[in-house]
Amino acid sequence: MAAKVKQLPSRGGTPAEKVYLIEIFKGMGITLRHFLRNLWDNSNLYVRHYPEVQPNIPAHWRGRHRLLTHSDGTPKCVACFMCQTNCPANCIMIKAGERTDGITEKMPVSFTIDLAECIYCGYCVEACPEDAIRMDTGIYAFTSSNREEMKIEMDEMLSLKGGYTEEEYQKGLEDE
Amino acid sequence: MTTLDIVMVIVRVSISAFVPLCFLAVCVTMERRVAGFVQDRSGPNRAGIYGFRAGGLVQNLADGIKLAFKEDIISEHVEHKFLYVLAPIISMAAAIISFALIPFADTLVLDGKAYVMQGIPWDTGILWFLAVTGFSVYGIILAGWSSTNKYSLLGALRSASQVISYEIPMGLAVISLLIVYGSINLSDIARFQGQNWLGFIPMWGIFLQPLAAVIFIVAAFAECNRTPFDLAEGESELVAGFHLEYSAMKFAVFFMGEYVAMFASSAVIVTLFFGGYNIPFFSTDFLIRNIKPVAFVMLVILPVFMFYFAKWIRRNNRSQYPRENDPREAEATVYIRCFWILIGVIEVFLLAILAFAQPDTAAAHLLVALMQICTFLLKVTLMLFVYVWVRWTIPRFRYDQLQILGWQKLLPLALLNIFVTGAIVVALG
Amino acid sequence: MTEMIKLFVNGEEVEVESGKNLIDALEKVGIEIPHFCYHPALGADGNCRMCLVGIEEGRPPVVPACKTPAKEGMKVLLDADHIKKIQHDVMELEFINHPTDCPICDQAGECKLQDYYMKYEGTESRMRVPQVKKRKVQDFGGGVIHDQERCVACGRCVRFLRQITKTGELGLVNRGDDCRVEFFPGRPINNRYGLNVVDLCPVGALTSADFRFKQRAWFLKRAESICHGCSKGCNIMVDHNKEKYEDDIIYRIRPRHNEQVNGWFMCDAGRMTYKSENDNRLEECTLAGTVRPLTDILADAQSRIEKASKALFLVSPSASLEQLVAVQALAEKTGAAVSAFSDGYIVKDDGDDFLIKDDKAANRTGVDLLSIAKSRTHFDNMAKEADVFINFDNDLSRSLSEEQIGKLFKDTWVLNAATHPGHLGTAMAGKAGASVALRSWSEYHGVVVNCDGIAQKFVGGVMKNIERPDIVEIAAGLGSPATGAAAAWALVQKKIPALAEFGSFLELPAEGVNLTDNEAGK
Ligand code: SF4
Ligand code: SF4
Ligand code: SF4
Ligand code: SF4
Ligand code: FES
Repeated sequence: MAAKVKQLPSRGGTPAEKVYLIEIFKGMGITLRHFLRNLWDNSNLYVRHYPEVQPNIPAHWRGRHRLLTHSDGTPKCVACFMCQTNCPANCIMIKAGERTDGITEKMPVSFTIDLAECIYCGYCVEACPEDAIRMDTGIYAFTSSNREEMKIEMDEMLSLKGGYTEEEYQKGLEDE
Repeated sequence: MTTLDIVMVIVRVSISAFVPLCFLAVCVTMERRVAGFVQDRSGPNRAGIYGFRAGGLVQNLADGIKLAFKEDIISEHVEHKFLYVLAPIISMAAAIISFALIPFADTLVLDGKAYVMQGIPWDTGILWFLAVTGFSVYGIILAGWSSTNKYSLLGALRSASQVISYEIPMGLAVISLLIVYGSINLSDIARFQGQNWLGFIPMWGIFLQPLAAVIFIVAAFAECNRTPFDLAEGESELVAGFHLEYSAMKFAVFFMGEYVAMFASSAVIVTLFFGGYNIPFFSTDFLIRNIKPVAFVMLVILPVFMFYFAKWIRRNNRSQYPRENDPREAEATVYIRCFWILIGVIEVFLLAILAFAQPDTAAAHLLVALMQICTFLLKVTLMLFVYVWVRWTIPRFRYDQLQILGWQKLLPLALLNIFVTGAIVVALG
Repeated sequence: MTEMIKLFVNGEEVEVESGKNLIDALEKVGIEIPHFCYHPALGADGNCRMCLVGIEEGRPPVVPACKTPAKEGMKVLLDADHIKKIQHDVMELEFINHPTDCPICDQAGECKLQDYYMKYEGTESRMRVPQVKKRKVQDFGGGVIHDQERCVACGRCVRFLRQITKTGELGLVNRGDDCRVEFFPGRPINNRYGLNVVDLCPVGALTSADFRFKQRAWFLKRAESICHGCSKGCNIMVDHNKEKYEDDIIYRIRPRHNEQVNGWFMCDAGRMTYKSENDNRLEECTLAGTVRPLTDILADAQSRIEKASKALFLVSPSASLEQLVAVQALAEKTGAAVSAFSDGYIVKDDGDDFLIKDDKAANRTGVDLLSIAKSRTHFDNMAKEADVFINFDNDLSRSLSEEQIGKLFKDTWVLNAATHPGHLGTAMAGKAGASVALRSWSEYHGVVVNCDGIAQKFVGGVMKNIERPDIVEIAAGLGSPATGAAAAWALVQKKIPALAEFGSFLELPAEGVNLTDNEAGK
């Protein structure tokens, strides 16, 4: 994707602009217009009245992580550490072990993401060669009063369901 | 000294000391809500007591409580603990006493005695203001230096050089004003502006000395460390500048000091350039002589005003999303009732004056003084609004731009203004 | 000095050593020729054809570099189109049945197939027929796990077991698609060097059961060290890593090439010494049974040494030269006796004619060079006289039984500075002495001299969460004139003149200094 560059004419060179005050008054005029409009009637504000009004989360929104499973419920993750390697926040902690169910040889024994450190960049999702991790739960609000609780473990991530259908998700990826 | 004297002293001192503090709430709320509206968002409107949000005022209460109960940390590395603690006190104290010499009403005559309506009845006037605000920068410098933090120190240095650069044009702008007014006493200056020009233009400083007004206002912004001149804080490059190491109430005192200073300098600007406490077109004498018609006009205007105000409250104080039995509508009803009761009380008083008061009695004097105080506070509030308005419009100056503006633009302009003013005054004799 | 010859690579003249094949000769000057089956220690086999290079005006015009000696005036072609096509096609061939399960392959990150794919192929597979499936996890014995699908049939493992260990457990069976490595039924790998095949295997077909899935290769930090498992002093690479919130631990030890000492290999037991570096380490410093800061303990010990009629210091024969001189200098200053008694470190008839030695002490030659007594009689006599005994990490329980130790030090105040518990057996339990947890060899730097008199430096890269002192620091804390590593090294240089020319131990050459060659032995 090529970067979109829009060249704007350089401003501030004319004598009128150099006097500052005129431009400052113009700017103040703009802000005053907004102020008065909203003061007169505050129903046109560009705000969502969260939490009463909930946002509509698009499918390619990077929310909380989940680990995907095969149809038999075993994790898709093979503990290749690609996500951990790529994570810029260094917040994924995996321990790998032998897998005995015959699907492959390797699987995570523990898989922890420290959501307090995660920056929701989605690199883990992109790095995963097995499509084993996604951020499509649509969960965007989670808080805790203690750091330990912000670490989510493998079982929890495996039990989370995606918030979208497969088609919506794939379309979301294309939109991105 | 009579009892009246003592009462008057108490009244004047408490007005001049507590009004700025009470205005903190107004300032902070206004800052936040104006910022919100300018940016098409709503500003704080969630905090409430039993659902009463008072248009965001309750948020201040919450913040105040939060700051008061936060852990007060003095870092290990702070060596000069005394100066470190002293710094916010200096800031705050200087801000409060800089308001002490500003008249908030015309001289009140009671029992044949005249009372100058300012905190301290001295004649030093504008010089006092210049001196004290100059002193307040010590708070910032001490804070920055004693914090033993490079960001704080840089902030303090910036602030020091900024104050030097802007105090000069400010002082020069005042000089040209003094040439016109012929006095440094702020009461005299305010009274001077009570006259009318050609019978219908009020002789306000802004009309007599527009250039001085611009220079003074710009410099006053810089003195208060307000955007666009808040380089001492410069959170994008200095984290928070001089108050970086401060927490809890010590931080709060800095924060309040800033707003009190803003209030004081708004008051000075109003006094110097916008007629002070004067109600435009109506001089104090005129009001005192015609107290009955004045009371009557107010009696009529107030309910009309309240009617529209109530409509505005109804329109804006409601939930902006579908909601059954919107509690905010009920909230609005309560507010409107309260205001109507307030208006009712005032109406009763006005009726009483209409019925019993004679021109040129104590009651008339008091009423006029009250009206002037209200006018004064209204003007100051508008000026505060300008402060806020500017802050949310103009981005911060770069440091070199700030110095260039101060030394290369404002200083020559101020000098030029003095010469021109002087020439005109001499020519007109 | 070897003779130099001139030849041309892609038309540019380069000077290389004579008497080598093209792969080795050009590698020395930084030109890489891809290869799978050739290994300097195993010789050329010529089965993989990855190393084919063009020879201009040569007959034949395309030759395997591994089998072609470098000759004066040769015109080698590496970047010609037909050579690139050969490399590309050989790679494509290798990948026909390759599972490419890099995500679960331990070799990923240090895999020749991955590297060469990126460098010489880089295209998608054209195969539309199903891949041949083979066995995945096959236990070859000796801690080696085999994956038949990943094997490129280079035969390195087979040749190693035939040529080097001469045990010949493995063989290549069948041809073509079906070619695979197998052990003879009922005879899995069973020798003391078997894990070397894991390093030899250019791909992930052979992996170590011990290291399997523990870490990805790219997370590992590397420290160039010397194995302290026996007196051979094999050059090793310590691969360690500190995971978030955890301790810095060693994940594996690999041999490092040193022609003078160990060639390319090391023994399996040496590889496993990392376990004792990670686990069961002493953690606390105690004085009379209570945990105390180190400085308190040293101050107490120092005053006891001063008051003692005789003090005895026992040093470990595996301690570095710096540590030995530091203790020696301390003894000279305080008039104490030093012993390196360690008969128990010698395991009779354990050694062989390849790498493993009877003597399990890493620096016994160093002990001798510094003339530190190590006889039993000396130790017994001194122990009887002494009323203060300080053990510097010597595992006395190897040499003496618990009763013997208990009897020797019945009335003696004992300071036991050790890396692991149990150096003095349980004999000292309940005795009011002191103990100090020491740094181990993977955590400090130093120089040791191996059984052949070769002084070798090693670097400790592991940084444990618990900070422990090393012997030099303890000795310095007790008043040794060697106040730090640099001072200790200066003392070493005074005592061993052959080392005097090196400003710091880091300047020692990578292949070590042979001290028997010169006057050091005198
Ligand atoms: S979203 Fe980014 S920061 Fe968060 S776990 Fe994934 S890679 Fe790490
Ligand atoms: S990248 Fe995917 S398969 Fe690999 S460890 Fe992460 S989640 Fe598991
Ligand atoms: S041998 Fe190399 S290419 Fe093959 S799966 Fe392992 S890492 Fe990947
Ligand atoms: S197992 Fe490894 S070393 Fe042995 S033949 Fe296969 S690829 Fe070569
Ligand atoms: S390395 Fe030459 S043919 Fe394999």
